[in-house]
Amino acid sequence: MIQGQSNIANQIDHLFRHEHGKLITVLTKTFGTSNIDLAEDVVQEAMVEALNKWTLDGIPDNPSGWIYKVAKYKAVNILNKEKYKREYVSEVAHHLQSEWTLEPALKHIFTDKEIADDQLRMIFTCCHPVLSSDSQVALTLKTLCGFNIPEIAKAFLTTESNINKRLVRARKTIKEANIPFEVPVGSQLEPRLSSVLETIYLLFNEGYNSTSEDFPIRYELCEEAIRLAEIIVQSAAIKSSNTHALLALMLFNTARFSSRINELGDIIRLEQQNRSKWDQEMIKKGLTHLAFAAEQNEVSIYHLLATISAQHCTAPTYKKTDWEGILSLYDMLLEIDDSPIIQLNRIIVVSKISGFKEALNQLKRIENDPSLHSYLPYYTSSAELYFQDNQPKKAIELLNKAIKLPIGDSRKSLIYNKIKEYSKNI
Amino acid sequence: MQEFMIFIKTKGDHLEGLSEEQQQAHVQKIGKYIGGLMESGKLKGAQPLDMDGAIIHGNKGVFKDGPFNESKEVIVGYFHIVAENLLEATAIAKANPMFEDAEGNIEVRPIKQMEGIN
Repeated sequence: MIQGQSNIANQIDHLFRHEHGKLITVLTKTFGTSNIDLAEDVVQEAMVEALNKWTLDGIPDNPSGWIYKVAKYKAVNILNKEKYKREYVSEVAHHLQSEWTLEPALKHIFTDKEIADDQLRMIFTCCHPVLSSDSQVALTLKTLCGFNIPEIAKAFLTTESNINKRLVRARKTIKEANIPFEVPVGSQLEPRLSSVLETIYLLFNEGYNSTSEDFPIRYELCEEAIRLAEIIVQSAAIKSSNTHALLALMLFNTARFSSRINELGDIIRLEQQNRSKWDQEMIKKGLTHLAFAAEQNEVSIYHLLATISAQHCTAPTYKKTDWEGILSLYDMLLEIDDSPIIQLNRIIVVSKISGFKEALNQLKRIENDPSLHSYLPYYTSSAELYFQDNQPKKAIELLNKAIKLPIGDSRKSLIYNKIKEYSKNI
Repeated sequence: MQEFMIFIKTKGDHLEGLSEEQQQAHVQKIGKYIGGLMESGKLKGAQPLDMDGAIIHGNKGVFKDGPFNESKEVIVGYFHIVAENLLEATAIAKANPMFEDAEGNIEVRPIKQMEGIN
């Protein structure tokens, strides 16, 4: 019985992740952004009700319709019961409290078009710059993407209570700042959109680069980031070449997601990846968005990163990669963002063109930067360069530092293997 | 764009005399009408009123309870809408299928706009 129940619970979680997000979005519009917690509670209760009923009777034919119905009636009951206790400022709440407008309003707010518009509004609410970026990501995952707290904690390698605190703080800030449920217009749109894109990219990187070894969850984070960017590009109200560029970048990288990991969960480097495993459909989609992104004369960091990624995706082999082209893109990138991590990535390209000696020379200019010292690829790539320069001891020293980073077992064992390999040459 | 109140007035319960099926069909028609207004973004609110209440006559601080007679014409509900002008608001009021099955009056009144504070 318990087994059965947890099985159904898992199915509910996964099958209804997006329905979950849509419901919270619509109910947030209904109750107002200061009542996000109420929206979450109603959906949670509807899910629990479903779980209890379905465990006994089996899953019905139209499970999401069932959950929508339960959530709708719960919402209407709350509005009627708590009419005088809380203030619901939204027009929808007003419609749902009138006998004449209740049924038409219920139909109207759950049409696909309304839901899509609301999800866009919800994205701008969750990614409002008054919230810390950590809170933005956690709230987006919880409300729009239907992740539960344990899943978010797992993805961020932190505790559930930590995530919970972040969420509580985020909801409180939204209430205090009186953040409206709307897509900003006019001159406000651009800065707000750039904050949204930053959060989406952060969410994506959490999936793509995190040290967590829960690959299914990490892949889902990438998919979610893509889905959110798609909601934005599909909106007629927003014309944004940056969003197309970011979407292209994420598609190119996700196309290579599964070829980066072997059956044991070990990371496979680009050089050794089986290119036939790359998702060509996804790459094609990425190229389409990259073309859209190029329509306006704008060059953002996303444009450059996407173009670099496109170079990798379309190179027939690793050896035939257009390193010169990629280097010039990195040079442009440095003009916008000269962070050590971008410099490091550029240096790896330099090593392909001018050799390890030149790369090492350039590496020395940034190797004391503390921001690199918690960045695993810094250790592995520079160790490789030192090893090629016949300095295995220095290489091993770097890898011994890498081992101390908070990384998963499979990465650790990869590093141990490298240390063994380098030791043979001392 | 301007806001309007549309008051619906009928004598007694306008659904009286309709069979249950007719009433149901009536409600559905009106639901569709309201849904359409919502979709076009023209509806701010709409509520029916109960058939009882009170009428009070006031004159320089003296109030007298007036007779409340629902068999005379009373307001049975209102629509709060936005429209380009009185012409459009009137057209919206006339499109209400309520009077396909009942008789009554509709009062369409623009909500007075503030001129701003000097």
